[in-house]
Amino acid sequence: MRTMKDTSLFFVRHSLQMMRNPVWMAVGLSTPLLYLALFTPLLKQLANGPSFGFGGNVLDLFLPGILALLAFGSGISAGFSTIFEMQQGITERFRVTPASRLAILLGPILSGIAWMFLFDAVLVIVGALFGFHVHILGLLVLAVLLAAFMATMAAFSTAVALLTKEISAFAAVVNGINLPVLLLAGVLLPISLGPGWMKVLAHFDPLYYLVVASRPLAAGTISGSNVWIGFAVLLPLCAITLGWATTVLRRVVA
Amino acid sequence: MDDVIEAEGLRKTFRSKGRTVEAVRGVDLRVRRGEIFGFLGPNGAGKTTTLRMLTTLMPIDEGRASVAGCDVASQAALVRAKTGYVSQLGGSDELATGRENMILQGRLYGGEKAAVQRRVEQLIDLLDLRPFADRRVKTYSGGQRRRLDVALGIVHQPEALFLDEPTTGLDPQNRAGLWDQVKALRERGTTVFLTTHYLEEADALCDRVTIIDHGEIVAEGTPAQLKSEVLGDAVTLRIDGEEDEVQRALSLCASVSTTEQASAEGDLLRLYVKDGAAALPHMLRLLDEQRISLSSIGVAQPTLDDVFLAKTGRSLRDGDPRESPEEELIGA
Repeated sequence: MRTMKDTSLFFVRHSLQMMRNPVWMAVGLSTPLLYLALFTPLLKQLANGPSFGFGGNVLDLFLPGILALLAFGSGISAGFSTIFEMQQGITERFRVTPASRLAILLGPILSGIAWMFLFDAVLVIVGALFGFHVHILGLLVLAVLLAAFMATMAAFSTAVALLTKEISAFAAVVNGINLPVLLLAGVLLPISLGPGWMKVLAHFDPLYYLVVASRPLAAGTISGSNVWIGFAVLLPLCAITLGWATTVLRRVVA
Repeated sequence: MDDVIEAEGLRKTFRSKGRTVEAVRGVDLRVRRGEIFGFLGPNGAGKTTTLRMLTTLMPIDEGRASVAGCDVASQAALVRAKTGYVSQLGGSDELATGRENMILQGRLYGGEKAAVQRRVEQLIDLLDLRPFADRRVKTYSGGQRRRLDVALGIVHQPEALFLDEPTTGLDPQNRAGLWDQVKALRERGTTVFLTTHYLEEADALCDRVTIIDHGEIVAEGTPAQLKSEVLGDAVTLRIDGEEDEVQRALSLCASVSTTEQASAEGDLLRLYVKDGAAALPHMLRLLDEQRISLSSIGVAQPTLDDVFLAKTGRSLRDGDPRESPEEELIGA
């Protein structure tokens, strides 16, 4: 009960903060559209090549990948505001209250998910105008996975921020993680282009599970094995990461 | 008997990159209900670390502490509910208004919406926030922001309020204003624990003072007690004569039973004398009998800076090397 009330307080606080930050809003809205505008033309040729074996509209293939990418991007960058709030004394101001520690973590994450969904919706609508086939049910199921993945990344990012405490070390960790996670997941280029060892390595990349589940889901196939595997991997991972991050928040001296 | 904050044998050690720093080494504290308690020391002395342990922000390595009757380690949630804390940084949300900040903080302390709104109205009057309460914090001046920080710390009417360096960075006018507000809090029954490295602040504001240096308590008492017990008054005599007369004057003055310390610098004698005003006529008579004449006389009440100097061998004012192990080693 207490946790739910505190979570909603932190949710509202974070949502208002974002709304009052016009730069953040502009970037949040323009990033998915830039992907759409700049990336899809590049891949138009590739999509019909042998590696994909995929007919139909190129957006049906790439839009779910962009959704996964946005979930990764907005999750992994959550720690930047954690660092800022630590340096401003905001984290400490919350930690001296009896507010639930899980709520301190969860409120901003849920708010981030809500904003992400808003940007996702814009992306889907704009994509639909350019020929993306919308399968509502599949997208709703995909939304659950996107939320779980975003929460995992955001909790991880927040915990790393709490542990590194300063922007340069945190940025180094995030940048170091970015490239391998993105490449191995096959978001931008399909992992099937790579050698065997890469395909094996991809299975240690959580984003990979989201990406391979997102394509059938966006195409409206809910019962595919990649979908089940996605849920089986990403939901427990989310719970574990949230638990770990809460422990870090409780222990770490910010 | 009625101690709001108690600590026994508090210890905290940080380890970082093979280095061990004992930030707090066996600190005992007792803060009585309704007093303003000053925790004084240079940067890096262990003030903030002690404060963080007492406010549940940092685990206690050794020793025990209780605040408002609750054990800090085992009853952290109760301690948090009964304690207010204003950090050096403040930590209000810049993109929110002062009122929004206060309402959120009150709600986080468990208050119901209507009750918190009423309380915020009180705080706006109490800390003089009315003209800017509905503006975003981003637009506040340093003094306005500090008053909001204090309001955030007392929104839940805590039994004990911890203020970490509350007036650092404020101009003299705002500093004096904040002192009045802290005194007003005491009148309303709040116990205030504040850290400072401004001696005049401790002197003007605090009922009792504890001085910490290198993680250990080196003195405690009321400012007046500390000043009188340690040193007596600072007496300066300028001798109108040669080196030989200065030395004779020095030994004469040192022989007076209430003289604690005596030294000469050129033609100037510096003496620390218990109840200097009473001892001075006696000294002057002795000097006169020896036909030593003086060009000037001064008697000054000692300041807490003199106390600090006597207790630690360093001046708080000019020493202050910013070696602050607590800042860089925290949580490492």
